[in-house]
Amino acid sequence: MDMAFLLRRIVIFLIAAVILSSLFARGQDTNEFRRILAAAVIADDGDAQLEGIKQLINSSDELVARALAAWRLGELYVLTTGADEKIPILLDSRLDEEGRARAIRIRDGEYLKGETGEEKLFLASDLTPADTTSRLRRTIKTMLDLYAMANPMPRMRRDAVVKLGQEQNPDYLPHFEARQKIETDPEVKRALNEAIQLTRMADESAAVRNPAIIALGELNSINSLHFLKQFRTTATNDPAKYGQETIQALTASIVKIENHIWWGNVVGTVFRGFSLASVLLIAALGLAITFGLMGVINMAHGEVMAVGSYTAFMVQGIFGTGLMFSLFGNPIRIKGFGLTGTGFDAYFVVALMASFIMAALVGLLLERGIIRFLYKRPLESLLATWGVSLVLQQIFRHTFGAANVQVDSPSFLSGSFTFNGSPIGFNRIFVISFALFIVYGTYLLLTKTSLGLQIRAVMQNRNMASCVGVRTDRVNMMTFALGSGLAGMAGCCLSQIANVGPSLGQSYIVDCFMIVVLGGVGNIVGTVTASMGVGMTNQILEPWLGAVLGKIIVLGAIILFLQWRPAGIFVTKSRSLEG
Amino acid sequence: MTQSFPKREFLIVGILAAIVLVVLPCLNAFTPPESAFHVSTFSLSLYGKYLTYAILALGINLLWGYTGILSLGQCLFFSLGGYALGMHLMLMIGRLGQYKADIPDFMVFLEFPAKYPETGGLPPHWIPFKSFWFAALMVVVVPAVVAYIFGWLAFRSRIKGVYFSILSQALTYAACLMFFRNDFTFGGNNGLTDFKTILGYDINSPGVKRALYLCSGGLLLLTYLFCRWLTSTKYGLIQRAIRDSENRVLFSGYATANFKLFVFVLAAIISGVGGALFVPQVSAINPSEMTPAKSLEAVVWVAVGGRGNMLGPIIGAVGINAFKSYATHAFAEQWPYIIGFLFIFVTLFMPKGIIGLPEQFRTIKRRIQQRNKSVDTPAESAVATTSEGVAK
Repeated sequence: MDMAFLLRRIVIFLIAAVILSSLFARGQDTNEFRRILAAAVIADDGDAQLEGIKQLINSSDELVARALAAWRLGELYVLTTGADEKIPILLDSRLDEEGRARAIRIRDGEYLKGETGEEKLFLASDLTPADTTSRLRRTIKTMLDLYAMANPMPRMRRDAVVKLGQEQNPDYLPHFEARQKIETDPEVKRALNEAIQLTRMADESAAVRNPAIIALGELNSINSLHFLKQFRTTATNDPAKYGQETIQALTASIVKIENHIWWGNVVGTVFRGFSLASVLLIAALGLAITFGLMGVINMAHGEVMAVGSYTAFMVQGIFGTGLMFSLFGNPIRIKGFGLTGTGFDAYFVVALMASFIMAALVGLLLERGIIRFLYKRPLESLLATWGVSLVLQQIFRHTFGAANVQVDSPSFLSGSFTFNGSPIGFNRIFVISFALFIVYGTYLLLTKTSLGLQIRAVMQNRNMASCVGVRTDRVNMMTFALGSGLAGMAGCCLSQIANVGPSLGQSYIVDCFMIVVLGGVGNIVGTVTASMGVGMTNQILEPWLGAVLGKIIVLGAIILFLQWRPAGIFVTKSRSLEG
Repeated sequence: MTQSFPKREFLIVGILAAIVLVVLPCLNAFTPPESAFHVSTFSLSLYGKYLTYAILALGINLLWGYTGILSLGQCLFFSLGGYALGMHLMLMIGRLGQYKADIPDFMVFLEFPAKYPETGGLPPHWIPFKSFWFAALMVVVVPAVVAYIFGWLAFRSRIKGVYFSILSQALTYAACLMFFRNDFTFGGNNGLTDFKTILGYDINSPGVKRALYLCSGGLLLLTYLFCRWLTSTKYGLIQRAIRDSENRVLFSGYATANFKLFVFVLAAIISGVGGALFVPQVSAINPSEMTPAKSLEAVVWVAVGGRGNMLGPIIGAVGINAFKSYATHAFAEQWPYIIGFLFIFVTLFMPKGIIGLPEQFRTIKRRIQQRNKSVDTPAESAVATTSEGVAK
């Protein structure tokens, strides 16, 4: 037997001893906490109960936490035995057929057993719940929050810390500090820091108080703003007690935090403005092509967008748990692949393409069936396509029901982060980048491909284009299909941020037309500019005037703006008299 | 487009007027309810509603059929007229409302007394509407002023064609959103309703209903005759010239913007008066009457009946609404399909509407005849086609 082997044996033995002893010690501790709790439950005196509960502060025992939570909800029972002995018990969550459950004795965590050794069963309604008072419940709640600081989920930990910090109770300080030493999650760390400073802010001594106030300002703690302001009111009412220095520190911190929030709001408003502008832009881009380039008023444009949204809904159903709809009164059930996770998330990519294709097909049908007869009668194309929009809406209603359908965001689009207190959603970021993408795509298509060249030629002079051999009929068809396809993609995008229902299109159609007219008909750059302007103005006006009044003012402003530039922001120059 | 009043049209209008203005009210007043010929007061009110829609349609026709301006805001003017009279009727409810207050119920409900304490809760602009004649004046003035301002702005900057349609739709949409707001003092989305009296008479009594019906019929006849006269004057000629080629009229030295503004304001007044008669017969007015969709629907009545003709819009408005009343009871689910396909069909295949059908048939017949003839004598048909081409 050599030395190395011996040493290893010794080390292993020592480790085992340490583990064992720690286990043993922990067991002793847990039992102690359980005993304290059991004693507190059956104590007659309310103060004694509170004292007992407060002793549980260092417990990490799950049963204690469970029992406390149950006590607060009146689900902790006191069983009185024949010998007038009171036993606090907790009922198991698993019930038998008669609704009875096994009872756990708080004192030692064992199941209550009968004389023959089998586990006794109890009915909750037969038992007496342990008494609670509102003071008791509050204390228990705090205790549970303290336990929650050790919760494995960082978000739960953060929420608990924020809540405890707002109580400004100096008793918690050691717990915060202890937690801060072992905490790894940066957000929880920050919340702990805030909670500590917030608690210290209420300290009697200015030497502790003032640095804490300044630290809160440095932290840009939005949650503490309310406390700081309250404190400032108290302090200014009684400057002698709190001292000028505290008041100055308070003011400085409040200004700093408010500044921080203001910036957050500015960025938030700009972001929301961009995202609204992108939505309008995506929705109006298809219209800018059909109306702007072809001069066809397609009142069913909104419904073509809805076709895209419903396509997204169907693709989602096929990837997920399947979908049901009725086709001309016949119920149809399609079995889904039942995908989850990344597989399901991929539906959105497929849906984007499918919605383009579906909407383009609808557009193609519309152009071949109706619109090509009306190129010379634009006002009448308005009426006929309105008829189409009524029919399509009713088809949606009959196929998918009158209520809105649920389109789930893929996981990479749900969620958000906050910037200086303003929430910024991933779905909106996606909408903005998607808008940029399709505008660029459309620009490339119109300027770099032969189809784009033909489209522009037909738009400028239909007869001349026809004379030099452009098949105007085919170009019309392609252009309309392209515009409709873009509308379909817009609908797919909208399904991520708005409700999908039969009247989805109606809520966008007036805005879309206004944007195309405002931007200057037949001008993509104009459409982009106009939607930016409208989206931003809307978001800037909204906090002051509310959404509806803001919209009314924007509409009024557009009407007035067209007085100044009747042909829109960017005018496509033409020698034709009728323009 | 004939200038005189052809005998046949005179006869048709005379017969229709006699039925609407004499026969139906008499059947309502003088036959016992169990008689097969009896027209109930409810039906009469319903017909009265159609007649007010027909007035609206005449206004649209004057604009669209004769001047080529497609306004999607006519229902706004219709509703404005309706609201003006509705405000008076609302104030006449007095203490008969549910809250037994001096001010209309919705004002109590929306806590107006706190907002306008000096007038006891009545917003200041409501006060003059206690007078019937002021309200009646406003029925004309409010739509006219709104139309004048909007038309002046639009025609001055030569906004025309589809752009005008879209802008007028936006105006309607904005106004509709505005009226939906509670703090706009016009009752929010419930609008004005539950009227009790008009000029001191019970608004629900058969006699008053009959009188309102007669007013609608009479006014429709007057509007018809007025439009008929107006379009036969030199003004009407310019109007139609603007429709066919505005630039040529402009280059001939006519200020087309003024002509258009005049007809736009006139159509707004006609719509407003129609709306004022609509409100007491339906006993309610709310913002859903002025949604852009309603305006489009009204345009379609005109298209179906036949525009550029005075009888067509009346036939269209009454016909489609009567059909709608029946259809929304009998097969409500299919109604949007029917109306939707009707629009598509009429725009594609019946550009002149119902009233133009005989002419369309005649053209088809002539073509068939010509084709048959051309088989016999090709030279002759060639001449015929050229002359037709020139005529076009």
